[in-house]
Amino acid sequence: MTDKADHSRRNFLYVAAGGLGAVAAGATAIPFIGSMLPAADTLAAAKTEFDISTVAEGQLVVIQWQGKPVFVVNRTAEMLERVKGHNDKLKDPMSEAADSVQAEWMDSDEKRLYRAIKPEILIVVASCTHLGCIPLFKPTAGQKDWGDSVPADWAGGWHCPCHGSYYDLSARVINGSPAPQNLHVMPYEYKTDSVVVIG
Amino acid sequence: MIDKMMNTRLFQWVDERTDLGAIIKSQLTEYPVPKNLNYMWNFGSLALLVLVLQILTGIFLVMYYKPSAELTYGGYTVAFDSVERIMRDINFGWLIRYMHAVGASAFFVVVYMHIGRGLYYGSFKSPRELLWIIGVVILLIMQGAAFFGYLLPWGQMSFWGATVITNLFGALPVLGEYLQQVLRGGFAVGDPTLNRFFSLHYLFPLLLAAIVGGHIHALHVVHSNNPDGIDIDHEKDAIPFHPYYTVKDAFGVGVFLLGYCYFVFFNPEAWGYFIEVDNFVPANNLQTPAHIAPVWYLTPWYTILRTFENKLVGVLMMGASLAVLFVLPFLDKSTVRSSRYRPVYRQMVILFFISVVVLGYCGHSAPTATLKVVGTIATSVYFGFFLLLPFVHKFEKTRPLPGGE
Repeated sequence: MTDKADHSRRNFLYVAAGGLGAVAAGATAIPFIGSMLPAADTLAAAKTEFDISTVAEGQLVVIQWQGKPVFVVNRTAEMLERVKGHNDKLKDPMSEAADSVQAEWMDSDEKRLYRAIKPEILIVVASCTHLGCIPLFKPTAGQKDWGDSVPADWAGGWHCPCHGSYYDLSARVINGSPAPQNLHVMPYEYKTDSVVVIG
Repeated sequence: MIDKMMNTRLFQWVDERTDLGAIIKSQLTEYPVPKNLNYMWNFGSLALLVLVLQILTGIFLVMYYKPSAELTYGGYTVAFDSVERIMRDINFGWLIRYMHAVGASAFFVVVYMHIGRGLYYGSFKSPRELLWIIGVVILLIMQGAAFFGYLLPWGQMSFWGATVITNLFGALPVLGEYLQQVLRGGFAVGDPTLNRFFSLHYLFPLLLAAIVGGHIHALHVVHSNNPDGIDIDHEKDAIPFHPYYTVKDAFGVGVFLLGYCYFVFFNPEAWGYFIEVDNFVPANNLQTPAHIAPVWYLTPWYTILRTFENKLVGVLMMGASLAVLFVLPFLDKSTVRSSRYRPVYRQMVILFFISVVVLGYCGHSAPTATLKVVGTIATSVYFGFFLLLPFVHKFEKTRPLPGGE
C-alpha cells in the first residue's frame, strides 16, 4: 500500500494538518496564559492617591502602592543640604544607571540631586535594590544616634538591616553597599498642590 | 510520520532505556481494532478529551477561586465573589469558567453515550466484565466530582443541592447522622463543607485520571468489542489503531468541538440545564428556592429517590439503581453480545434507555401527581430491565451470527 502512496501529497497533508493543529493549540494557549496576567481589578488598583500635607517636616511615612511599600519623606532644608558634596562616595550620583532610578522630570542637575519633583518631598519605592528588604530610616548625621551601625562619616539616609546597604537622604546608594542601584522612583504627579497620584 | 520519528537517534536512546518503541507498536501502530466499528465507538476518546479539558481549565480556575463562605463587605461571600471576579475581572476568566461548566455537562453527554453503546452492543459481557466494572467506578467518581464541584460557586442551588444530598445520608440507619456530619463538618452545610468539597473536587479528577488509565489498560488486554459483538480474527478483521482510528477519533473530536464551542460561546447556561438560574443568586441558608432540582445528569437517580414515599427506601433504591450496574455482566447469561442478533434484548435495552430519559425529565421538573405516576412507571421499567435479564436467554431466539462463529 505504501508503494502506491503519493508521498508529496501525503507530506503536504501532514504539514498542513500539523501546522493548523499547532496554530489552534497556540490560539488555545492564549486565554490560559492570559488569565495568569494581572486581572482588570488588579490593574484598576494600580494608582494610589496620597495627601503630602499629612507628612510633618522631617517625617517619613510608608504607604502602599500596588502592594509595594513606598517611602514619602518631607525633607527639611537642613536635610536637603546634607545630600550635597558626597557625590564621590556614590555609585550612581546622577541616577543614570537604569530607567527605574530616573524619571522624565529629572531634567536638571538639581532635580537629579534631590530626585524629587518638589525638592523637599522625596517619593521612592521602599525596597532595597539588593534583595527587597525595607531599609531603616536614619536621618541624623554621624554615629550619635545610630552607633557603629553606620559609618563614621554618615550624612543621614537609609540603612538596610538585611545586608548592610546604605543610601543617602536622596535614596542614592553609597559605595561599598551590596545594593546595585539607587532606590527606584515610580511614576507620580501632583494632582493639586498637596495631592500626589502615584502610578 | 511515526516511523521517521522512531528512526531518530534521540528516540533510539530513549527506546533502549524504556522500551518505548515496543509500547508504541503494541498500543498504537500495531494495536488491532475491529475494522467494523461505527461512530458509537468515538465516545471513549471524546471522554478522555473532556477529562483533560476539565483538569486543565480546573487548574486555571483554582488560581483565582477561593473556597470560603465568609461574608464580604458587599454582603455576599468570598466564594461567590471570587467566581464573579473570575467572570468579570480575570483575563479570559469567563471563557475558562464556561469551558469548565459546559465541560461538566459535555463529560456526562459523552460518557452516557459511551455507556449506552456498551449496553446496546453487549460490550459488558465476557471477557470484558472487569472493563465494564472499572467503567462503573469511573461513573460514580464522576458523579461525585460533579456534585462536589456544584457546591463551589456557593449559589442558591449549590447550597440547597448540597443540603438535600447530604440529608440523604442522614436517612441511613445507625451511621446516618454521623456520616452526614462527616460530610458537612457541622450541623448544616457551611464553610467547612465548602472547604472539604473543594478538596475532594480536586482529589476526584486525580483518581479519575488514574482509573481511566486502568480502564484503557484493561481494554487493551481484552480488545474492543464491535457492532456485531463477535470475536474477531486479529489478522483478517482488524486494522491498526494508528493511523486508522486516530484519524477517525480526530474527526469525532472536530464534530464534538463544534457543539462544545457553540455552548461555550453562545449558550453556556443551556436554557438553565448546564447552569441553573437559581445559582446566580448567592447562597442563603434561610431561604430555599421554590424548586430544587439537580443538574440534568443526576436527575434520573433523583427521580428514583423521589418515587418512594419512605425516605430510607428511596435512598436505598437510588443506591441500588447504580450498584446494580456492577453486577450487570453476571446477570446477562446470553452468549450472544450485540443487540443486532438479540431481538428481545434489543427491545428491552431500548425501553431501558427511554426509561432513563423519562426519569431524567421527571427529576428536572417540579413534582406533580401525573409526573409521580410517570416516574413510578419509569422506575419500574429501569429495575425491570435488570430483573428480567437473567431469564432472557431461556426464551430468546437469537439470530445467526455472521462469520459462522
